[in-house]
Amino acid sequence: MATDIQISIVGSAGDGTIAAGDILKNALAGMGYKIISFDVYPPEIRGFGKCIARMRVTTEQVYSLKHKSDVLISLDDSHAIPHADEVRECGAVIYERASIVQLPEGGHISAHIGPGQLPYPVPVRELAEKSTSANRSRNIVVLGFLAGLLDLPDGAFLKAIAKKFKRKAEAAAASEAAYRIGREFAAQTFKLDDVVFGPPVSTVVAGATVEMISGNAAIVRGALDAGIDTFFGYPITPATSIMERLAAEMPRRGGRLLQTEDEISAISAVIGAGFAGARAATSTSGPGLSLMAEMLGMGVIGEVPAVIFVSQRGGPSTGLPTKTEQSDLHMAVFGGHGDAPRIVIAPTNVDGCYRCAGKAFELAEAYQTPVIVLVDLYLSNRYETVVFPARPPFEADVNRRPGKQAAGTQYKRYTLGGDSISPRALPGEKGGMHVVTGLEHNELGRPSDQGEMHEAMSRKRHEKLKEALKHPDFTICKRFGDEGAVDVGVISWGSNFGESLEAMLKARGEGIRCAAMKVVMLSPFPTERVAAFLADCKEVLVPELNYQGQFANLLQSHVARPVTRLNRVPGEPMKVEDILEEIRRLAGRKAAQKAA
Amino acid sequence: MGEIKPVYLEEKLKEIEDSGRLDYRSKTLPTWCPGCGYFSIVEAVAASLCELNIPNENAVMVSGIGCSSRFPFFVNSYGMHTLHGRALPVATGVKTANDALTVVAVGGDGDGFAIGGGHVPHAARRNVDITYLLFDNGIYGLTKGQTSPTSAIGFRTPTSPYENPDRPLNPLLMLLSYGASWVGQAYAGRPDHLHRMITQAMAHRGFSYLHILSPCVTFDKTHRTYGNLGMQVRDLPADHDPTDRLAAMREAMDDALPALGLYFREERPTLADALDGLVEKAGGELPGKVAAKPVRKAARR
Amino acid sequence: MTEASRKARHHIIVGSGVAGSQAAETLRECEPDARITILTLSSLLFYNRYDLPKVFRGHRDWREYLVYPAAYYRDWKINVRRCSRVAGVDARRRVIALDHKEEVRFDTLLVASGGRGYIPEDLTDFRPLMHGFSSYTEAMSAANEVPKKGHVIMLGGDMIGLDLARTLIDTRHRVTLVAGPNTFWPHEVDDTERPGLIAALEKMGIEVLEGADAGGIASIDQGAPGLSARRVLFRDGTELYGDVVMPFFGLSPSVEFMLGSGVDIERGLLVDPALRTTTEGIYAAGDVCQIWSDAERRYRFYYGWKNVRAMGDLAARNITGSSDPWVPAQDEKLHISDDGKIQSPFWEYA
Repeated sequence: MATDIQISIVGSAGDGTIAAGDILKNALAGMGYKIISFDVYPPEIRGFGKCIARMRVTTEQVYSLKHKSDVLISLDDSHAIPHADEVRECGAVIYERASIVQLPEGGHISAHIGPGQLPYPVPVRELAEKSTSANRSRNIVVLGFLAGLLDLPDGAFLKAIAKKFKRKAEAAAASEAAYRIGREFAAQTFKLDDVVFGPPVSTVVAGATVEMISGNAAIVRGALDAGIDTFFGYPITPATSIMERLAAEMPRRGGRLLQTEDEISAISAVIGAGFAGARAATSTSGPGLSLMAEMLGMGVIGEVPAVIFVSQRGGPSTGLPTKTEQSDLHMAVFGGHGDAPRIVIAPTNVDGCYRCAGKAFELAEAYQTPVIVLVDLYLSNRYETVVFPARPPFEADVNRRPGKQAAGTQYKRYTLGGDSISPRALPGEKGGMHVVTGLEHNELGRPSDQGEMHEAMSRKRHEKLKEALKHPDFTICKRFGDEGAVDVGVISWGSNFGESLEAMLKARGEGIRCAAMKVVMLSPFPTERVAAFLADCKEVLVPELNYQGQFANLLQSHVARPVTRLNRVPGEPMKVEDILEEIRRLAGRKAAQKAA
Repeated sequence: MGEIKPVYLEEKLKEIEDSGRLDYRSKTLPTWCPGCGYFSIVEAVAASLCELNIPNENAVMVSGIGCSSRFPFFVNSYGMHTLHGRALPVATGVKTANDALTVVAVGGDGDGFAIGGGHVPHAARRNVDITYLLFDNGIYGLTKGQTSPTSAIGFRTPTSPYENPDRPLNPLLMLLSYGASWVGQAYAGRPDHLHRMITQAMAHRGFSYLHILSPCVTFDKTHRTYGNLGMQVRDLPADHDPTDRLAAMREAMDDALPALGLYFREERPTLADALDGLVEKAGGELPGKVAAKPVRKAARR
Repeated sequence: MTEASRKARHHIIVGSGVAGSQAAETLRECEPDARITILTLSSLLFYNRYDLPKVFRGHRDWREYLVYPAAYYRDWKINVRRCSRVAGVDARRRVIALDHKEEVRFDTLLVASGGRGYIPEDLTDFRPLMHGFSSYTEAMSAANEVPKKGHVIMLGGDMIGLDLARTLIDTRHRVTLVAGPNTFWPHEVDDTERPGLIAALEKMGIEVLEGADAGGIASIDQGAPGLSARRVLFRDGTELYGDVVMPFFGLSPSVEFMLGSGVDIERGLLVDPALRTTTEGIYAAGDVCQIWSDAERRYRFYYGWKNVRAMGDLAARNITGSSDPWVPAQDEKLHISDDGKIQSPFWEYA
């Protein structure tokens, strides 16, 4: 019996909402379920802003969160009430039975529970005080109640609780007591909802490990597994945690991390380190990427490897720092003056974050250019259960090295011809001396403003990237759904592909012939394969979380083809329903044309 | 000034060839104007590299943008000619990636203290083990003569046709206040002294800042000329204590009569020491001890 | 709440049983734009209590008992606030205080909270060991305790209990009735009719024990391991073992929350023939109220599905402007059918 249950815990900052969510996620992941989770934090550091811990627990692989939750737990009615209608028919709403303060009409969530939803008032505060003689651990009491209501095994929960409080024995004991008392109360409660967990399904290959991990944590893991040895960065939401995790991890592996005075310094140091042969990276968001534009161009013309992790947020300018968006595509692919092509890859899920992060170092070295790994706030902060292979799937060193120099000849760093990738000598190597310059240059690397040389070098820098389209062991784009001709094709990128794929699968379930394609490598653009896909589609839908349709623009600049754009900037993931509506509309339009 | 010894050309040429320092000059002819003070600097650097026995392939010259920043092309070593104002962070990146390299950052007064000003304090305070040679000609030469942060008040340029009203910065004072562990000043018109200072700066373990006064013979005919500078420069007092930062600052305050010599020097842990210290604190192993990929790891020692 | 709904009248109904739910339906028909809120202790939407014996036939899913699906309440905009206990009513301010510390304003209030099973004084101590049957959860609880062909000891034997007894017999359970003055409640049975009716019960398959003959019940205990789950000990020393003990002593109106509201209460809420209580704006309907009967010169209860439903409908009409009087909707005679079976109008429901 397939499990597909989404649980939302809504509370105020200070209620332990996120902590409860973490324990629940860990418990369920420990039981073997797959999880996608995205928490919502209040924008202020202090105060009583709204927190939501939201997770979708499944036995099959899914790609997005659901429009409706199966269970809503309210730790603070004033925050949870607007979410009451997110619970599906026959879903459960768990809440504090009685308030301590007098409430106006409608101030208690029980006024907002729909007739199809099942109410579970729980004397949380009372139980918390009884078990821990304090008003804390209310969040754990409700977890115990939930575990009992859903008939989940204690073991996984107790383990998750112990892990969360592993450095505070007193808190761990209090939490365990709170869990148990909540569970006991559930035993006396009649289960009226139909939220049922089926048995977990484990498909893990020997040697591999399953972990529940966030997008940013997966990026860090990928970078470490690929042998990152140098990192320079500047804090910016939502990329900061990448640097912070690396700051803790890299010294343990002998690596070097430095927080610079600004993003320009960061990218400059990365270019310097890359020139010297290090596997170097930085991480930032839109505003930082803007600052890095000039130095990125230097990396492009100097053909220096660099890896930049960019997590997009609402823009432009300071924009919406805590909201997700996909509006830095133009900046990533084209940002910087001149014809400055670089590699841009955009994973679509947390597993992809791991792979793209590691592969980025291979790509940077192999094609001697900056590589931008483009994610967004949603993906950075989303948790998913990921299977990590026993051995990291990344090559340690793919630098094209210069061979022995014939006597009397001079090393040419930028030889033309062939696949346009010229051998690279590293500082410290005899006979390989050259100067990397931001000026246009000849094969020796000496400044040259000759027209013919500029054309030849421009061609070199563009042609060599085409080789990246053939990079081994890397999915640059992938098609899902019906094979052959389809009525509607959905093509999208980044985290939005999750919602797009779910919408496509639902549409297929309704009998519409459709397919979806995810494009991971945005630059160089996989024109041939995308064109082949589009040729199969009567209608093409391009959903994305930006106002201008940046990916549609990019696509149409390579493949001349009318498309239907679905551009939204709500600051949160697109709704699967909205994409599905568009697919239906396009399919319907198709049906109407047939009839006409 | 003592007696001037006569110099015989053939002897001198042989001396230069035998010294081996021509090895450190590249085949590229400098793009500087004849008479530019920068010629002395490139000669001095070549001589210092030779004197310190640094293999060509282990030296990396990192520059920004400007006349000074053409420097790396004229030295037979690795080099990076980067962006306006960014030599220091790039140099930090190079050195952090490979401790075995000798990294020299070069740039002009505009490159270092206008657009690049934000990076200087951090390179200095971190004590990254590089040498920063600042070619101060008080002007933007490459773009044909605009005012710079070290231009004198009253200096007339195309961007200050009514005379520059802005007070110039005092780079020596700034670097001393940033905590630089080696601060000195030299003058292109005294090439032997310049050479000695560069050698000391390179030999110093830590961030060494050498401020080099140099005339722009093409665009500054009024202020920083060989004539004027020749009369203004003096030596630091013989009793100057280079371990006294405040004393150094006091000397630096007198920018009307710039003093040449070693202003300040101290030994303190470098950036690499600090980063290695973090590795130990975190319980990791320094790369040298790990039997890892030889190409990259072995180089960093 | 929209501006329009803020101005609309707010009708509150306490109780989501037959009376309250019918009232909501009629209110909505009469006033399409009014706000209607039902407050109920139950965690379920309106379900038919008369159907509960079906749990012993294996119908365990509460969804089967709902009279209307959730969509009905959405479509008709009736807010059914479940798990809501009324702590008190301030009739002057027209405010209901809910137990969880929320205050709700009303324009009119209809109390249709029904009655709960009455337990005689001398047996209240044993309440925890008895299994009630007034709600779905109680019914499920009882059914879970009774094994196949299990033995139910019924005390009292009101018509609700006897209805359940029919189903228990039919599903091959054993039923022993400890009869007493509440047997056949709410029918009033005189001494001449009683023996015939008792005989009819026995003919149905119920074992009847006259409680008075055994001196009354001394105690109810939990059975020891190896024995049945429950034991009833009579004063004359005789014992009766069974799986559950279920009390059916008739209903006692649920009026505690109305104390202090100013409304006249005897045993139930006192209402005039138009179902109005002594306080303006407050009405009552169903098992909770006693209606003035001119004919009988007293306030009296009217039981049975048809009556209760009619009361709900009448109250709603009168709330929205009518002033129709109460007319009983069913008769009250208990009789024995031709094939010797008991028949009661209180067993009939649609």
